[in-house]
Amino acid sequence: MLWRVQLQMFINQTVRSRQAGRIVGTIAGAAVILFAWAWEGIITWVGVLASHRVPVRIDTVHLLSVAFLAYTGVLVFSSLVFSLNALLLNPDLDMLLAAPRSVESVLASRMVVQVLRLFLLSLLFTGPALVVLAIANHNLLIPLAFATLFLLYPIFVVVIISLVSLLLVRVIPVGRGREILTLFGVGLAIAINLANFLLNPALRDPGFARRPGTALSLPDIPAASSAWFPSGWAGRSGSAVLAGDWQTAGRWILLLLATSAVVFAAGSVLSGRLYMAGWIQAVPPRRRHATPRVRRLKAAVPLLSPVLAAIVIKDWRMRTRDLAQLVRFIMPVVFLFVIFGLRFPRLLAAVQSLGDGPPAAVIGLIPAWILLFSLSISLGLSAVSLEGKNFWVYAASPNTTLRFLQAKCWSAALPTATVVAVAAVAAEILIRPGLLWAVTAVVLAIAQAAAVTILMVGIGAVFARFDWTDARRMMHPVGIFIGMGLFSIVSAASALLLVISIALAAATRFPLFTTWLAAMTISVGGAIAVAALSILFGNQRLRGLEVG
Amino acid sequence: MLSTRLLTKRYGSLTAVEDLDLEVGAGELFGFLGPNGAGKTTTIKMLVGLLRPTSGSARVAGIDITAEPEKAKALIGYVPDAATLYDKLSAREFLEFSGDLYHVERRLRDRRIAALLKLFDLQERGDDFLSGYSRGMRQKVSLAAALLHDPQVLFLDEPTVGLDPQSARQMKDILQDFCREGKTVFFSTHILEIAERMCTRLAIINHGRLVAIGSLQELRHMVGQDRQSLEQIFLELTGSREDDVSAVLRGLES
Repeated sequence: MLWRVQLQMFINQTVRSRQAGRIVGTIAGAAVILFAWAWEGIITWVGVLASHRVPVRIDTVHLLSVAFLAYTGVLVFSSLVFSLNALLLNPDLDMLLAAPRSVESVLASRMVVQVLRLFLLSLLFTGPALVVLAIANHNLLIPLAFATLFLLYPIFVVVIISLVSLLLVRVIPVGRGREILTLFGVGLAIAINLANFLLNPALRDPGFARRPGTALSLPDIPAASSAWFPSGWAGRSGSAVLAGDWQTAGRWILLLLATSAVVFAAGSVLSGRLYMAGWIQAVPPRRRHATPRVRRLKAAVPLLSPVLAAIVIKDWRMRTRDLAQLVRFIMPVVFLFVIFGLRFPRLLAAVQSLGDGPPAAVIGLIPAWILLFSLSISLGLSAVSLEGKNFWVYAASPNTTLRFLQAKCWSAALPTATVVAVAAVAAEILIRPGLLWAVTAVVLAIAQAAAVTILMVGIGAVFARFDWTDARRMMHPVGIFIGMGLFSIVSAASALLLVISIALAAATRFPLFTTWLAAMTISVGGAIAVAALSILFGNQRLRGLEVG
Repeated sequence: MLSTRLLTKRYGSLTAVEDLDLEVGAGELFGFLGPNGAGKTTTIKMLVGLLRPTSGSARVAGIDITAEPEKAKALIGYVPDAATLYDKLSAREFLEFSGDLYHVERRLRDRRIAALLKLFDLQERGDDFLSGYSRGMRQKVSLAAALLHDPQVLFLDEPTVGLDPQSARQMKDILQDFCREGKTVFFSTHILEIAERMCTRLAIINHGRLVAIGSLQELRHMVGQDRQSLEQIFLELTGSREDDVSAVLRGLES
C-alpha cells in the first residue's frame, strides 16, 4: 500500500505533472539512464571478451564478498537516512499510526518499502551487467539469482538500522534531525575516503604489509568473505551462480533467506514494542539563542549600504548557524585536506622541481581552484535559492531585484574569495615560485574567484528555487549542470591562455611576465564579462518572478 | 489611500480576481471577506506588489504599485498568512534585517524594535531563534516587522490565525490604534465576528468578483434584512450550502 502511494506520487510529480519542464526532465533522466545502461553493458561485454582472451584468475568469492561488504556501507547510510527521515521529518507517520492497523505492521511496511527501494536501485545499477554476464555465460538464471540476493541481502541491515533509529530518536532533539543526518553523512563520506585511502591497493603505499596469498588487486579485508557474515554468504552464493554451481548457490541463498526472515519477523515485533514503550518520543527542542556578535559582523562589511550589509550578514548567519549549510562551506576544505594532505610531501616536491615562473605559480593555485569550484557552486549557485519561502520578505520590501542580486554577489563572493586567497597564499608560500609570480598569481586567483562566484550567483538566480523544504534540493540540477560546464570552460580557457602566453614569450622574446599577465587579464576579464551577463539574465528572471 | 481599478489576475484559463474596483480611505479598518479560494490572498498579493495584475491598476497613497513598486512598497506593511520567517535568526535579528530593508535609520530602528518586542510580549524570547517560535509568536514577529517602518497602509492576510484570545485581542487594539493615527488597515479574515466588531467597512469577494462593499449597515440594506449578522449576510451573498452539507452527512451514515 505504501509502495503504491510512493509510485503514485512519483508519477504525479513527473509524467502527470502537466509541467513541460518536469516531463522533459523525466524524459532526459530516462535517456541518461538508458545511455548509462548501454555503456555498462558495453564495458561488461568488453571485459568478458578480454577475460576470454587473457584468462585472469580472480578470487570471485573474495571479490563479491568485498563488493557486498562495501554495499553494506551504502545500505547502512541510506537506511539510516530513510529511517530517521521517516521518524523525524516525514509528516505521514502520525497519519499511518492513527490508522486502525497495528504499530508493528506500519513499521514493518516501512521496512518493506525501504528494502524494495534498495532492491530496485541495485537492479538499476547492475542490471545491464548481469544481463550481459547471463548472455556471455549462456546462463539466463544469473540475473534472477542476483536479483534474489539483492532482495534478501538488505533485509538484515534495514531491520537493524530501523531499530537503531528508533533508539536514536530518543536522543536527537526535535527539529535537529536534518542537521544530525547531514553530520552523519559528512562523517561517513570522510570515513569512506579514508578507508579508500587505507584499503584501496591503487592508493596504498607499496610497503604496506598484506596477508600472504591475497590478490594484489583486491582490498585486503579478512572479515569480508568470512562464512560467519552475510557478505560472505552473498559472496559465496554469487560466485557459485557465476560458476553454474546451483547447489552451493542455493544453500547460501537459503541461509540468507532464513536469517533475513527471522531478523525481519523479530525486528518487526521488537520495533513495535520499542515504539509502544515510548522510544519514539524524541527529545524536546532546546531553546537556542542567537549570540550577539553584531558589532563584529558589521565591522566586517563597513563599506556596504545598509540593505546590502543586512543581506550579507543575514546570509552569513543562516549559513553558519545551519549545520546543513555550514557543511557546504566546510566540506570542500576537509576533502581538499583528505585529497592533498595525505599525499602532500610528494606533490610539493614535484611542483618545486619546476623552479621559478608561472607554471609553478599556477600549479600552486590548483588546490585553491578546486576550492573555488566547490565553494562557487555550493555558495554561489545557492545564494538566491537560500531565501526559499522567505523570499517574500525581500520581495515586499522597497528594493530592486538588482540590489538583491548585488547583495547576493557580496554574500557569496566574500567568503569564497577569502578562502581561495588563504589557500593560494599558503600554496605559494610553500612552493616559492618567485615573489612577483606568487603575488600576481594570488591577485589573479582572488579576482577569478570573485568573477566565477558572481557568475554562479547569476546562474543560481536564473534557476532559483524558492519552494524547497530540504536544503539538498535547493539547487536546480540544470543550474548545477550549466554552472559546472561554465566553470570547466573558464578553467580550460585559463589553462589555454597560460600555454599561449608561454609559447608567445618564447616565440617573440617578449618578457614572460608581460605575456602571462596579459593572458591572465584576458582570462579574468572574460570571466567578469560572462558573470555580468549571468547577473543580467538572473535579474531578468527575478523581475519576472511572482511570489504566489 | 488605496484604490484599485478593474484589477484582474488570471492564471491561464483560471480567473482568480476579475475587474476589482475598490476605494479605501485614510483611517479606515477595511475587512476583505470571502470563502476559500475566492481571491482574497491573490488580491492582497497584487496590492503589496508580490503578484503582477494581468490587467487593471492598484494605487497606494496615489502611487501605482506596478509602475513605481519600490516607492509604493516603502509605504506598505505586509503580514502574510502563515508567515514563513528565517528559522536561524532571532526575532530581534529578523526585525533588524527588516528595518534595514526598509531603510530605517539604525538608532531609530533599535528603539522601535525594543518597543515592539515589549508591545508583543516578546522581550524575553527576543534572542531565541525563530525556529523555536509557535505559529502565534511568528505572527506577532511578522506584525512587528510590518509596523517597524511606520507604514501608511497595513495589509494583513488572516492575521488572527494561530493567535490565542489575548493576543487576538491585543492585535485588534493595535490595529484600531493604527487607524486612529489616520493610517489604513486592509485585512482578510474568515472570522466574521472579528470583522463585524472591528471594521469600518467591508468587502465580500466570491469567485474573484466583488459581490458587496460598504459598512455593515449598508450590507444589511443590500440584502434587505436590517438585523442580520455578518455571518448571515456573508452566507447569503456567497451562497449557503447548509442543505448540501446535511445531505452529504446523511449519505455517509447510510
